Amino acid sequence: MNPDLMNSDVHERARLMIALFGEERPGPEELSNAERSWLAAHLESCASCREFAENSRETIRLLRAIPITAGERLVSTTQMRVRQRAQELQRQQERFWVVCVCCAAVTLSTLVTTPVLWRGFAWMGEQARLSPPVWEGGFVVFYLMPAVLAGILLLARGTFLTDHNGSYQD
Amino acid sequence: MNAAACYFVRAMADENTEIAHGLRRRDPELLDRLIEEYQHRLLRYLMYLTGRRDLAEDFFQETWVRVLERGSQYDGRHEFSTWLFTIARNLVIDHLRRKRPASFDSLADPDGLAPFDIAATAQPSAFDTTVQREQNEQISAGMQHIAAEYRETLVLRFQEGMSLEEIANVTGAPLGTVKSRIYRGLSALQPWLKGARL
Ligand SMILES: [Zn+2]
Repeated sequence: MNPDLMNSDVHERARLMIALFGEERPGPEELSNAERSWLAAHLESCASCREFAENSRETIRLLRAIPITAGERLVSTTQMRVRQRAQELQRQQERFWVVCVCCAAVTLSTLVTTPVLWRGFAWMGEQARLSPPVWEGGFVVFYLMPAVLAGILLLARGTFLTDHNGSYQD
Repeated sequence: MNAAACYFVRAMADENTEIAHGLRRRDPELLDRLIEEYQHRLLRYLMYLTGRRDLAEDFFQETWVRVLERGSQYDGRHEFSTWLFTIARNLVIDHLRRKRPASFDSLADPDGLAPFDIAATAQPSAFDTTVQREQNEQISAGMQHIAAEYRETLVLRFQEGMSLEEIANVTGAPLGTVKSRIYRGLSALQPWLKGARL
């Protein structure tokens, strides 16, 4: 027997059964045969619970009869909004992929060019009779210059990320 | 379970899986179809939750935008409607939390939501009789006076036909609380039924 129904007094138990399982509902939420016969016997003898059962049925019927419908305008506006948002998300995703591809290309070209550049700086240092720390310093500055410049430009634009993610909901 | 029930359960599971795949792809045709399919049910739930049609319509749109954005989170193992209603509910709760952060217990506090104004929003069909309309108004008035958490549970149970477990999932309340809310809500509405019968 349903343990929730065990501790209440008989009328309360009958009414809880009616409220929860009074309708014919398929599936695991049906009352067991024993509970069903107990409830039937109780309703037979208890006018007050019988009234509760009738009132419950009528209340549920009326609840279902309350007409609330969405208008066509709401549906079409929503569909349009969702499509617009989908396009925004699509564009964001495309931008994300472009950034990913650019990052991959930069990484690859860095891996290829760094040793060549290093040897080039070493050769120029030798030709100009510079000590290794000097041409090595020159290499580091030359190497980092694009990243530093890009950083400064991005900072100058200030709200770069907020501008581009402004429409991003949490 | 008999063969027909088995077939029904499998068909529902297939449909949920199909919805999950479509949402992951952000399939616009699928979203259009879902919006149309769930329009009345979602709006009705939101109206009972917020008590106002204008607010409910705003949340209706927000809910579908959220469905689009979070579509990949739907796994297809649960009913789509349960997931949809949970999203809608969370949006309303977030809104209420922002509105009244100090006293957040909105759905337990009938004052936390706007006065329920269903009579003004109902659109009776040409077939509605005066008696039916009066009965609807009475029961709507009853809904206005019961606590928001009872109102929500009754809508999910008797209008949406959700199982007790589905209601517990949507509302985040324990199963025992859901049962007690249905019982108490139904009992609280009964005095209004007497008015409806006059
Ligand atoms: Zn009794």
